[in-house]
Amino acid sequence: MDLATLIQTIANSVVAGSVYAMIAVGLAMAFGVMKMANFAHGEFYMAGAYVVYVLYALAGWPFPAAVIMAIPVVAAMGVATERLIFWPTRENVLAGFMATAGLALILQVLVGQTWGVGLMRSVPTPYMGAMDVAGAKIGWQRVLVIPVGAAMLTALWYFLYRVKAGKALRACAQDAETARLQGINLNRMSMLAMAISGASAGLAGAMMAPIQPVTPYMGHAVILTAFIVVVMGGMESIAGAVLAAIILGFVHTFVTTLFDAVTAQMVGVACMALVLIWRPQGLLGRVKA
Amino acid sequence: MLKLDGIWVHYGTVAAVKGISLEVDENRIVTLIGANGAGKTTTLRAIGGLHHPSQGEIRFRGERIDRLTPERINALGIATVPEGRRLFPQMTVMENLEMGAYLRNDPAGVQRDLEEVFHHFPQVKERCDQLAGTLSGGEQQMVAMGRALMSGPSLMLLDEPSLGLSPIMSQEIAKIVKELHANGRTIVLVEQNARMALLLADHAYVMETGRIAMQGPAAQMRDDPRVRETYLGI
Repeated sequence: MDLATLIQTIANSVVAGSVYAMIAVGLAMAFGVMKMANFAHGEFYMAGAYVVYVLYALAGWPFPAAVIMAIPVVAAMGVATERLIFWPTRENVLAGFMATAGLALILQVLVGQTWGVGLMRSVPTPYMGAMDVAGAKIGWQRVLVIPVGAAMLTALWYFLYRVKAGKALRACAQDAETARLQGINLNRMSMLAMAISGASAGLAGAMMAPIQPVTPYMGHAVILTAFIVVVMGGMESIAGAVLAAIILGFVHTFVTTLFDAVTAQMVGVACMALVLIWRPQGLLGRVKA
Repeated sequence: MLKLDGIWVHYGTVAAVKGISLEVDENRIVTLIGANGAGKTTTLRAIGGLHHPSQGEIRFRGERIDRLTPERINALGIATVPEGRRLFPQMTVMENLEMGAYLRNDPAGVQRDLEEVFHHFPQVKERCDQLAGTLSGGEQQMVAMGRALMSGPSLMLLDEPSLGLSPIMSQEIAKIVKELHANGRTIVLVEQNARMALLLADHAYVMETGRIAMQGPAAQMRDDPRVRETYLGI
């Protein structure tokens, strides 16, 4: 591997890590507050990409405006999922799991029926050109993912650790019943968690729309990685998810560059298994009392 | 101040509390004692709103509260210190205290109550920036009581505050319960340590398998031969 390829691969790793982190924090948050694994989370990512496809590629909106619109649209999908699926099935984890898996299929088919499965217009690249680092060419469109991801994670961190409502969200994730005894409305916190969960996945999908092929099934590819990240990071830990996302970003990108994508998936799962042998609670997870 | 009238609480089809009635007057310490599984904790959870009784009424200052959510009950001035402390382990001590004051919009009052917490528990002040999960059992109990105080409650429900603590720490907690009472708070104390509970309380209820087996002024209960034999081991 020459220097240019190495730099290129590192840059791609950071981009992949940023995207994984943006997707996984939402999954971790939903799991933390509601103790439910949202199998339709990949479809939130897909929905974010479709908002950009529809508004930017089809309707001709400016790219940043389309990206910003993806945030409230997918956040609303998150809230709807919470109201229609998580809240009614909160007593029954299995029913919730089946329902979110079903929702994933419904969203895929709905999007496929509306905008087609195969012959769709690709999303044009809004920011052409590439950054040149020691002979490595890194497209601006990819570079842009890094500050957007960093800004989103910083905003999320600020909210969770500095704002009262964010702290209450953490309290609900740590002990929902005791949080209620402090006067925290779990019902509202669940909606808030799912709004954030949807918004972050939607933003990730929107940013990736010009980079990845936009298809109804694109969520499928990321959901497995997102779950690996969340399990590796420690189920409910947001910081753990970010750390695991960056590690997995590097692992996947390097193995893909040196071997191929299938091997990369296998190595990723192996990494998770190794982490779990060493720390069954995940990298930054806590042991349940 | 607080009145339970014929309360039944079921877990599925099993009744944990079978038609109990009890009364707590303003500025009293009332204790519920009894063996494990007698229904003491369930009774407190019902008052706090975590269980809705299947029958009976709970009234606080004349208002029915047995259909309210825990959030609403907290807002009325009832604070629970749950069994096993139940702090938010990954949050700092200060954040735990802040959560206690979650519903309040009077910064001055919150500040005043924070001072009171630090006055009762000087150790807690030193540990403000530490994660609550890293504290010792006694310190956690103090933070749990401090968190409850932060909501500015008039009625405090203490569930097994001495559980798992050293005798010295238990005495410390008992002293603080007395201070809280002296500051005008009404207290319902659930304890397996009947000796401590009967020394602190004005009035005692003895629970057995979901029912109230005996009740009376605490001083009188201390001398009751059945209580002495069963709960004090004398």
